[in-house]
Amino acid sequence: MWTALLAVVRKEFRQAFRDKRIAFMLLAAPVIQMTILGYAVDLEVDRIPTVICDQDLTSQSRDLGAAFVAEGTFRRVATVRDPAAASRLLEQGTAAVALMIPVGFARDYARQIPIDVQVLVDGTDPNRAQVAMNASAQFLAERAVGVSLQRLSQAVAAGGAVRSLPQQRLTPRILYNPRLKSAIFMVPGVAVTVLLVITTIVTAMGIARERELGTMEQIMVTPLRPAVLLLGKCLPFAIIGLVDVGTLLAVGSYLFGVPIRGSLLVVAASSILFLFSTLGTGIFISTVSRSQQQAILGGFFFLMPAILLGGFMTPIENMPAWIRPLTYLDPVRYFLEILRGCLLKGSGFADLWRQFLALALFGVSIMTLSVLRFRNRLG
Amino acid sequence: MTGAPDAPPAAGEVVLAARGLARSYGPVKAVTGVDLTVRGREIYGLVGPDGAGKTTTIRMLTGHIARAAGAVSILGHDPLGNGGAVRDALGYMPQQYSLYGDLTVDENLRFFASMFCLPRDLYRERREQLLGITRLARFTARRADALSGGMYKKLALACALLHRPRLLVLDEPTNGVDPVSRREFWDLLAEFVADGMAVLLSTPYMDEAARCHRVGLIHAGRLLLEGEPAAPLAASAHGAVRVDGGEREAVAAALQGHARVLALSPSGARVRVVVARGGEDEVAAVLQPLGARLHAVSPDFEDLFLARLHATGAVQEWTAPMAAGAVQDGTTPTEEASA
Repeated sequence: MWTALLAVVRKEFRQAFRDKRIAFMLLAAPVIQMTILGYAVDLEVDRIPTVICDQDLTSQSRDLGAAFVAEGTFRRVATVRDPAAASRLLEQGTAAVALMIPVGFARDYARQIPIDVQVLVDGTDPNRAQVAMNASAQFLAERAVGVSLQRLSQAVAAGGAVRSLPQQRLTPRILYNPRLKSAIFMVPGVAVTVLLVITTIVTAMGIARERELGTMEQIMVTPLRPAVLLLGKCLPFAIIGLVDVGTLLAVGSYLFGVPIRGSLLVVAASSILFLFSTLGTGIFISTVSRSQQQAILGGFFFLMPAILLGGFMTPIENMPAWIRPLTYLDPVRYFLEILRGCLLKGSGFADLWRQFLALALFGVSIMTLSVLRFRNRLG
Repeated sequence: MTGAPDAPPAAGEVVLAARGLARSYGPVKAVTGVDLTVRGREIYGLVGPDGAGKTTTIRMLTGHIARAAGAVSILGHDPLGNGGAVRDALGYMPQQYSLYGDLTVDENLRFFASMFCLPRDLYRERREQLLGITRLARFTARRADALSGGMYKKLALACALLHRPRLLVLDEPTNGVDPVSRREFWDLLAEFVADGMAVLLSTPYMDEAARCHRVGLIHAGRLLLEGEPAAPLAASAHGAVRVDGGEREAVAAALQGHARVLALSPSGARVRVVVARGGEDEVAAVLQPLGARLHAVSPDFEDLFLARLHATGAVQEWTAPMAAGAVQDGTTPTEEASA
């Protein structure tokens, strides 16, 4: 059995590395992908192009406009007087936000009557629009509170009573990723995706290829047992996948400063458990595919939702309520939670045992189901 | 029935026995009631046109597909569900490409040797021998997909012979192989059979059938007749004639459907005809006006096969189910053919 297993493993490695394109896809492509994604997928939003539409043209209105762009979330691209000009800039895409200061702003301010300051937000990029709305609401609220406090203290001072007012202040402190860098969030995601894609697709295609090219026909008359064949076909890509994960973590921490706070043992153990799910899925796809082309399409059908529902790009909490239960069926979710928890927060087995349990359950069931199906199909 | 795996079977020992094989694909009955026996030191040829059910029969025998009915025994073991014992005894070469095209000749050989867990020194010895007789020794570093059709088949044969199977099953082994390589291939087979191996092969070629020790004619999923290729020829009650002279199309048109003409096949620029016993004069009379004469030739296997198909009505209605009686005892053509 060991002779046969070793022969299959050797054959798989040989076939994979003989074809330079496959070797490239297996080893170099993941690193290139991660580098590009790490730089490109920047979820941080700042310097939003903003037009200040100052219809009042007073020192108060200029003051408001300057304060709006002072903090950095908004970047002034133009100051106009005509609201139509502001709308045009939004339409052209030159600006994504317009701060509309109405006529009579200074007058109403002096008279102490409520003023409507309008903020127009380009909603084509929902993420950026969300950030712009939150930031402008916060800005105007703080400013209103500031003005009120100022007036109140003036009034109080005039009355000669209380000197200061008790205030509740919010001072958020962000843990684990204090500068909210996207790359730190992205790198574990890319590592998971790469491991998922390589092991699932390559396994499914590898088995479908034996069937398509007729080599399965020949192997079936040898004493090689189906389980040994599967093991021999999966092992090389499991090893390549683990090497990729290691490489990605190394590159991620070097290029993007991704911390590795937890134990690498947690990373390795969860990767191996995760491999049971992906290799099992790959074998399953191969049992419903007759050709490599069908295997690719089958893999794609599975991979897209698995990646998206796993919380690779968007937090699961932001998904619609009816979708969220589905994410519990996605092994990617658990592996991603383990990897992010371990790398960014330094979580260990004690914190992550639920995810480990879920991964193990998935892996063992998918693998068992697939191997049985594979054996039955061999007849 | 079983013996030590490496001992060659005594001459005549039954290596493969199949009874009542049947298999359908949907409504199509691919194989019905096929009985087969293959003994040591013999080449059994399963002969028939494309789509006759040769590959389906073979795949049931090797255990690649389940059978709807019937029993198969390879040295006493059923190939289905009893993989180990059968697989050590069985060598198989499928019709399609079945080696790793991106591996070299040597890598393919070593891979399949490992599948059978051949010890290293035994592998070396057999590799030398097989490379020698297949004359592939110069090409060991060449990728399998860069080999010519004939060389590829010889490599596939070598891979199937590495573990010295007692039964070798070949599905249309010379399909797509040039005539010279075909002859070489048959010479190779003869050597191994002389050493005691049993061979079951399928072929659509009548000239190859003549080289088998025994043949079974298969058509529309049924075995029409079985026996030594020479015996049915000798026992044939019909005469084979070549029509000389006359225009080929006119001759064929005149003979088509004639009651005494059992089979008609083009042979070069002429027509070859199988004439029912005692019908030569009648046929000659038909051809006289066309300026054609009959010339007696010795009947060959293809003539016999065509006559047999005619007798069962299969020539007229290619897909019609055969009369059950026609399948049995086909070695002596019966008088019903001329009726």
